Amino acid sequence: MEKEKDFLKPEYYENRELSWLKFNQRVLNEARDKSIPLLERLKFVSITSSNLDEFFMVRVASLKDMVHAGYKKTDIAGMTAQEQLEAINKDTRALVELQYSTYNRSLLPLLHNHGIEIIDVHEDLTPQQAEYVDHYFQENVYPVLTPMAVDASRPFPLIRNKSLNIAALLMKKEDKKEEIEFATVQVPSVLPRIVQIPSGTEGGRTFLLLEQIIERNIQQLFLNYNVLCAYPYRIMRNADLSIDEDEAEDLLQEIQKQLKKRQWGEVIRLEVEEKVDSRLLSILKQDLHIAQEDIYKIGGPIDLTFLMKMYGMEGGDELRYAPYKPQQVPQITPGEDIFAAIRKGDILLHHPYQTFDPVVDFIRQAAKDPDVLAIKQTLYRVSGNSPIIASLAQAAENGKQVSVLVELKARFDEENNIVWAQKLEKAGCHVIYGLVGLKTHSKIALVVRREEDGIRRYVHLGTGNYNDSTAKLYTDLGMFTCSEAIGEDATAVFNMLSGYSEPLTWNKLVVAPIWLRKRFLKLIKREIKHAQEGKEAFIKAKMNSLCDRDIIAALYEASKAGVKIDLVVRGICCLKTGIAGVSENITVCSIVGNFLEHSRIFWFHNDGQEEIYMGSADWMPRNLDRRVEIMFPVEDEVLMDQVRHVMETQLADNTKANILQPGGRYEKIDKRGKRLVNSQEQFCEEAKAAVPKKANVYQERVFIPAEPVN
Amino acid sequence: MKITTFAAIYIGSYEVSMKVFEIRPGRKIRQVDYVRSRLELGLDAYSKGVIGYELVEDLCQVLKEFRSIMDGYKVDTYKAYAGNMLRTVSNGLFILEQIRIRTKLEVTVASNSELRFLSYESMAASPAFEKMIGQGAVVVEVGGGSMQITLFRKGTAVTTQHIELGIMRIWEKLSKIRNMVSHYETQIQELIDKELEIFKRLYLEGQDIKYVILMGDYIGEMVKGFSKKQGDGAIESERFLKLLNKWHKKSPKDIAVELNLVNENDPLILPSVVLYKRLTEEMNADFVWVPGVSIDDGIVCDYAQKNHMIRFLHDFDQDILAASKNLAERYQSYSGHTDSVLSTSTAIFDAMKKVHGMDKRERLLLQVAAILHDCGRYVSLTNQFVCSYQIIMASEIIGMTDLEREIVASTVKYNSLPRPPYESLRDKMDKDSYVVVSKLTAILKIANAMDRSHKQKFENIKASLRGKELIITIETKENTVLEKGLFSAYVEAFEEVFSIMPKIKEKRVF
Repeated sequence: MEKEKDFLKPEYYENRELSWLKFNQRVLNEARDKSIPLLERLKFVSITSSNLDEFFMVRVASLKDMVHAGYKKTDIAGMTAQEQLEAINKDTRALVELQYSTYNRSLLPLLHNHGIEIIDVHEDLTPQQAEYVDHYFQENVYPVLTPMAVDASRPFPLIRNKSLNIAALLMKKEDKKEEIEFATVQVPSVLPRIVQIPSGTEGGRTFLLLEQIIERNIQQLFLNYNVLCAYPYRIMRNADLSIDEDEAEDLLQEIQKQLKKRQWGEVIRLEVEEKVDSRLLSILKQDLHIAQEDIYKIGGPIDLTFLMKMYGMEGGDELRYAPYKPQQVPQITPGEDIFAAIRKGDILLHHPYQTFDPVVDFIRQAAKDPDVLAIKQTLYRVSGNSPIIASLAQAAENGKQVSVLVELKARFDEENNIVWAQKLEKAGCHVIYGLVGLKTHSKIALVVRREEDGIRRYVHLGTGNYNDSTAKLYTDLGMFTCSEAIGEDATAVFNMLSGYSEPLTWNKLVVAPIWLRKRFLKLIKREIKHAQEGKEAFIKAKMNSLCDRDIIAALYEASKAGVKIDLVVRGICCLKTGIAGVSENITVCSIVGNFLEHSRIFWFHNDGQEEIYMGSADWMPRNLDRRVEIMFPVEDEVLMDQVRHVMETQLADNTKANILQPGGRYEKIDKRGKRLVNSQEQFCEEAKAAVPKKANVYQERVFIPAEPVN
Repeated sequence: MKITTFAAIYIGSYEVSMKVFEIRPGRKIRQVDYVRSRLELGLDAYSKGVIGYELVEDLCQVLKEFRSIMDGYKVDTYKAYAGNMLRTVSNGLFILEQIRIRTKLEVTVASNSELRFLSYESMAASPAFEKMIGQGAVVVEVGGGSMQITLFRKGTAVTTQHIELGIMRIWEKLSKIRNMVSHYETQIQELIDKELEIFKRLYLEGQDIKYVILMGDYIGEMVKGFSKKQGDGAIESERFLKLLNKWHKKSPKDIAVELNLVNENDPLILPSVVLYKRLTEEMNADFVWVPGVSIDDGIVCDYAQKNHMIRFLHDFDQDILAASKNLAERYQSYSGHTDSVLSTSTAIFDAMKKVHGMDKRERLLLQVAAILHDCGRYVSLTNQFVCSYQIIMASEIIGMTDLEREIVASTVKYNSLPRPPYESLRDKMDKDSYVVVSKLTAILKIANAMDRSHKQKFENIKASLRGKELIITIETKENTVLEKGLFSAYVEAFEEVFSIMPKIKEKRVF
């Protein structure tokens, strides 16, 4: 018992927020990687920027809440909320610094070399360009602007969360008293942030930011005033949506209410341009009630997410990776009976290397199949015009029993979810709006089909959401099976989600929040036992985040017992490697590549009787304790080998992998003298090679005479 | 091959459940779905005597959902049973009506004995069961309001006792004092011990019991942790008790956590632990077996068996006969005379098959009536008919419904007493049953009369139908004046019922 306590020492753990910032740093490093095409690098800058926004709105906001509430408990690394905020502030500033120096010093000059200009100061415009811009302002921008002045009768207006604004100091023309007034105008989000303007050079392209167009013409908004100065700024508000579910009579209504309230949250970050006028800043500071340490002076355009638009601009294909087309899954021929394919054996899907179409097809075919009795599915973060939703609605109209669990608590997507949830309900689906107190994060789809020899259940289990657009960007694993044991469990899962009592036993699936944590600990303990008996013992696992104290402590214990542990953790990792006597046998690598690593694999050696699981859960307290998650075993030998290959290739990656060093730093692998392995690229190639060769259509073609119809 | 999709619904005292099955002739019944919804109907039923409208509302809602699940599977047919508490509450009829109107489900309120038989059937579908009862076993079925203990010896049921002690009832009985005592579990134990003590003294003395078979709620969860089991799935009692003793001292919350129960403050968990513990201790068996079946399984077995889709290994009729014999022996009324009446009446029944239109089941009831027809003498020699009736009505015979028990008891009663007109019995049975009673009585009377002296003077009794006459051929070497004389007194009653004249044909044997 004493020993177990030892593994819980705060110094053995990394704070999760700081670890997250390191992850964002790794993403930013991709933007600094010279071997990557230029526009791809812009994309990574944009991602770090939007990541940081979400991080502030959710994590920093909740730490602020803790400080306000006087919450004194420390995290696993022994830090109080206040200490964490201070550390975050420091690291964020360094990150932002690096972000802008990358943008200003590397990317802008490189863009210039390729004939692309982003003008971020309107004073730099040529007269010809200036004329174009003014015209553009009059035609497109001016009509949608709403300037707001602040004085005794007009209080400080509500500044919307994450919106870009321009603040100006004004003085009334012919005012003897020289009284300075404050005004603000929102940069309209309905207009594109970047505007292409005529280029000075032949064949070149020039862009100007929308706020610059407004700034240049700001005088037009305040005709009776002299504009002393004008600077863009942006605020971030507390947006963590925590609903007290015990009080919420109707979850749906509550969320709709919260959505409206979110904009009123406390301001937790203010971004202003570096050269901002100090009088202007002090007015902002006072009216937004923001502390000095939460003000970020930015040396460039505020909110770099516009770079994603740059990435998507027309032309410049040579500055991007060639688009990758997800390949056909060898076992599933498009257009043919997917159920027949599944009956031949379990099928593994590896997205985005392999196409997501079979999953969409699975539901589409089920909706039309007269033998299908029921379709049940969990949906979480689904794209708005998803073909899956259309198929589910159609299935219900075709008289099938359709149950859909719609998770409304998915961060930031609520409004979107409510709309299509209601659409499904109208079509006659039985829609379950999540469970009180638990987020349903599991990804499972069940089709019940009446066949000649009785009812057969087809199940799709996955590590990623049923979202056909993210399936092109996130790496995920999925499995089709018609195993009776898993089918029974799948039915039980949906019964449980519909509010019936949990089943007495589970055959194969392991379900959080009740059983998953225990199972993981048991699996780790078993490896410890094998190691202690002198047998080979290892754990190889891949996930997005690792920050659960109990699991980490168990891993430390296992490492100490001699279990070899190799982890691929993309994001947060609170585990520290290389602590003498604690974690010497653990390696952690993080792969940040063109696709977002999202799959979860848990591979236990179990003295040769290997067990491989996949699932929707990370090793995070929220996944293990507050969510409905499903972990499923991969039992088919062929599939096990496929998953092993995925895991081994990722562990062998030396191009995109960052290795966690004993000091807590992530470093790329020294590639000298090694065969280069880029796991994501390798998977792309392998997926292409695996597609069955198309037989020559002309030789194969046989015209089949139609049979007389009885 | 035709597959029948069947739904079994059971409304219990604290749970409403439904199982969907696929029945394929000649194959094992396959469970397709199982949904359970916790609904504490018993709480209202046992404490207030009426089920409140909120609960009725919830019940209808759950059943409506069940209905839609059934529709989803396109089930061919279903059976829905409700526990006895719907009969005991004053608004039971209206609840059934509500269910019928709102969910289109026809719910049968099963009597206690029927329910127990259903779960018994589900258990008997397992091959391990046959082996265990061959070696001596006690089956304990714990319900919300009561429990039933059946003792098996050499493969057949010896006795069945119904004890008004269920998990919910224990909790309810002690609810007033729960907060006044520090050792709640001791109070539970005392309550249980009192009831078990009598059973043990009456039935368990000198019995060698190898297995105790436990059925009921929570028991499945309790034995889930045992990975090491016997080949037949049984667990050594010692290990089982060790576990229960450990829990015994814990708080309900801790137990709930160990059992992975959803409701951490489940008030019923402690009574269950104490009850199972005491039962196992008192039965003193070597092994505990938890078959892990529910009434829903019994419902489907019963349906499939009645529709000739499956056949049981176990002969339930033998249980009924054996239990009846045991009952007769208990009241010292089993004799040569009983055997004689049994064989004569059976012979008459078989000979008359074409005329009486009754089937196997009524034949069994006749046999039970024959076996038990004298049991009342134990209480009173003059008023034995009424006493026999009372004894039969107060005894559980596993496999017999309440109505069947009434038929047997009435057959015995009117064997000697004049049969009243239907109108005065209509509160006890329907018309068809009344006719059955009349027929059985007529046969029993004749069979009884033929051994009036209780000396088994007739041998090789044979019966055959010839036109409008029933010829009963006998062999005898003794004076049969008494029998023959009295026989004619019953001829009329027989004729009245069957329009057949019974005649004795005597073969003298020297």
